[in-house]
Amino acid sequence: MSLNVTVHNLKMQYNAHPVLDGLEFDLQRGELLALLGANGAGKSTLLRCISRVLEPTGGSVCLDGRDISNLTALEIARQMAVVPQEGGVDFEFTVQDIVLMGRFPHIRRFQKEGEREQDIALSAMEMTGVAHLAQRPVTTLSGGEKQRVIIARAICQQPKLLLLDEPTASLDIGYQYELLELAVRLNREKGITIIAAIHDLNLASQFFDRFILLSEGKVLAAGRAEEVITAENIKKSYGVPAVIFRHPLHGHLQVSIPKQQHGTGINKKGPAVHVIGGGSEALPVLDALRERGCKLSVGPVTAQDSGYQYASFYRIPLVEVPPFSPVSDEIYEAHLRMIREAVLVVVPPIPFGEGNLRNLQAVEQASREGIPVFILEEETSRERDYTGGQATAVISRLKKKGAFVTTDTDTMIAYLYGQDKYSPKEAETGGGNKG
Amino acid sequence: MKRAMDWDKEKLRKKILLLFLGLLFVFAAASAVTTGAVPIGWQEVLAVIFERLPGCSPPVEISGVHREILIQMRLPRVLLAAAVGASLAVAGATFQGLFRNPMADPYVIGVSSGAALGAVFAMMTKSTFSMAGFGAVPLFAFAGGLSAILIVYYMARVGRVVPVMTLLLAGIAISAFLSALVSLLTYFAGEQLHQVVFWMMGGFSGASWLKVKVMIPYALVGYLSIQLFARELNAMLLGEETARHLGVETEKVKKFLLVGASLLVAAAVATSGVIGFIGLIVPHFIRLVAGPDHRFLLPASAFLGAGLLIGTDTLARTVMAPAELPVGIITAMVGAPLFIYLLKKRKKLRYFHSSE
Repeated sequence: MSLNVTVHNLKMQYNAHPVLDGLEFDLQRGELLALLGANGAGKSTLLRCISRVLEPTGGSVCLDGRDISNLTALEIARQMAVVPQEGGVDFEFTVQDIVLMGRFPHIRRFQKEGEREQDIALSAMEMTGVAHLAQRPVTTLSGGEKQRVIIARAICQQPKLLLLDEPTASLDIGYQYELLELAVRLNREKGITIIAAIHDLNLASQFFDRFILLSEGKVLAAGRAEEVITAENIKKSYGVPAVIFRHPLHGHLQVSIPKQQHGTGINKKGPAVHVIGGGSEALPVLDALRERGCKLSVGPVTAQDSGYQYASFYRIPLVEVPPFSPVSDEIYEAHLRMIREAVLVVVPPIPFGEGNLRNLQAVEQASREGIPVFILEEETSRERDYTGGQATAVISRLKKKGAFVTTDTDTMIAYLYGQDKYSPKEAETGGGNKG
Repeated sequence: MKRAMDWDKEKLRKKILLLFLGLLFVFAAASAVTTGAVPIGWQEVLAVIFERLPGCSPPVEISGVHREILIQMRLPRVLLAAAVGASLAVAGATFQGLFRNPMADPYVIGVSSGAALGAVFAMMTKSTFSMAGFGAVPLFAFAGGLSAILIVYYMARVGRVVPVMTLLLAGIAISAFLSALVSLLTYFAGEQLHQVVFWMMGGFSGASWLKVKVMIPYALVGYLSIQLFARELNAMLLGEETARHLGVETEKVKKFLLVGASLLVAAAVATSGVIGFIGLIVPHFIRLVAGPDHRFLLPASAFLGAGLLIGTDTLARTVMAPAELPVGIITAMVGAPLFIYLLKKRKKLRYFHSSE
């Protein structure tokens, strides 16, 4: 039930403007391929050339070695089903009518759809979870339900190759996962070769095995996720800087694009602020301060820390500690030097353990030297204190000495930029006051 | 298996509906031949039919005058109305499906304005041209209708494909242009004005066996060439691209459908003028009660179109007897309120469904 696809030197022009420019790739039987690329990269055009809705201006598409330009529409439809981007149905066909149309290429002109056809349609509807809607007019369904009906029709066509054009574009997050899980199931259980044009790189990397990244009508990269989804490729094809990391739950590559308003944190005219790193809780603080143009520094962080990735991306100076190691005297001193260059030191609501207790002590030292301290607390420090109370004790002392305490970054920023209406005093949650 | 039961129930429902529409048509035809300025009993109608069948003896005697009225006037008129009604309804259903546009009617891409231009030209020039027993007006109308659609088709063509949206727009443009020419000619029509206006309203007062003999083959050929592609037309309702994905050779199918529907409309207009509304509402009517499946929609529309036009024509020739109203006036006056009623009722049903 599967098929291989060979695209050779495929060219397509619209008004002398090349959309596909000598595209070349090979798809083995039973592969699950995600077609990536920016808007206008040629994903949809490629799919439409493969389904022969468009006739390419050059090159060829072969299914199992047979050039599709020599096949009839029926011969193609018996092997290939397509789920188009917009499946708008304005006429009141019932769900069952629509799904049964998938049998079109398989039955003769005046043949009635018999029990066999009905069984195939029913099992397709069951597979996509629309069997209970069989008699409902499609016009009364929600977008997600309609999409599942269109997919049921494609399944009912019993294809060897399934093309999906932006199948998740109009779906909510629940349906997106359901749909891609279904695609994977069709691929694994029925061996259907699948090509899906998809915009969401993170979803793609989670579900697909092979990737082709198109850019300006050419294959920019092809292969496994690690070969295709790289910061460099994304910069080239989408024109944005990206951070690539592994998802903490499933380990697939994930792409994230940082906000760009203010570029890097260095060379900024804002006040110098030092943020204590060592936990993901520091990230929103860093980002808020960076957006306001603060001259940031971070420390101490390990290379695995999210704060480290953040700082490296924006080229923010940092103090690094080796993983799973206590803060050495040398690092303590380096950290303290860095704090002294700032006009303010911020302690985000990160957890404290034996390893990073010394960082708090560095803050206390800086406080003694007259550098103002801002403590952000979402929960009291006791709940994230793994030092047997030592960290909480330090924080209490800091508060007594006049550290500002607040729960939100806005108050902190207001203080930095001297807006009275967010007077830190009013935001105090008890314990501390301006000394 | 609950699904399978629903399935069979639906099929049965459609069969019953088709049977009912068939009976409606027969009933309309039967009442039409018996009603008129001279009432004729149904036994006499049967007698005329039985006279012609070998081995049957007529149940009652029939007078020569009644026989003449039946055979020379009422039967051809009813048959012509049936063929024209069915043709317009089927052509309307086809264009609505092909263009995926509920506003489409048989005249949407210019067949009627082309035919009107031909007919008005023939009237104004008082052409005496004739062929196979037909005068210049129907011949010119037929030629005008087909020429219009050919022009539209070639103007809409882009390379090897004819996008339906372009076809529709080209049709509307050509139609408007030809209508303007018709208006211009009408403006200078002078003594022919009444004839021109009356022809454009359409009607069956000129019905004859000759017209029936020409109309019926066109109706059959046109209908069959469309019915043959009923499943393709269903797929095309989902969009041309989707139809191609399902294996429909859309360009080929479009040609067949256009040729079929154009023949139906051109023949109908040539024999009976421009009769409005039937082609627009009959398919909608059927869709509202039985859904858009063309395998059912086409025959059902044919029966309903035939029955409805026979009925309205009977009204047209009896309400002001012995004078005749143009049938187009009646079709709109009867059809529109009926259609709106159904639309309203359907809205309530829909509301009920969605609030489940």
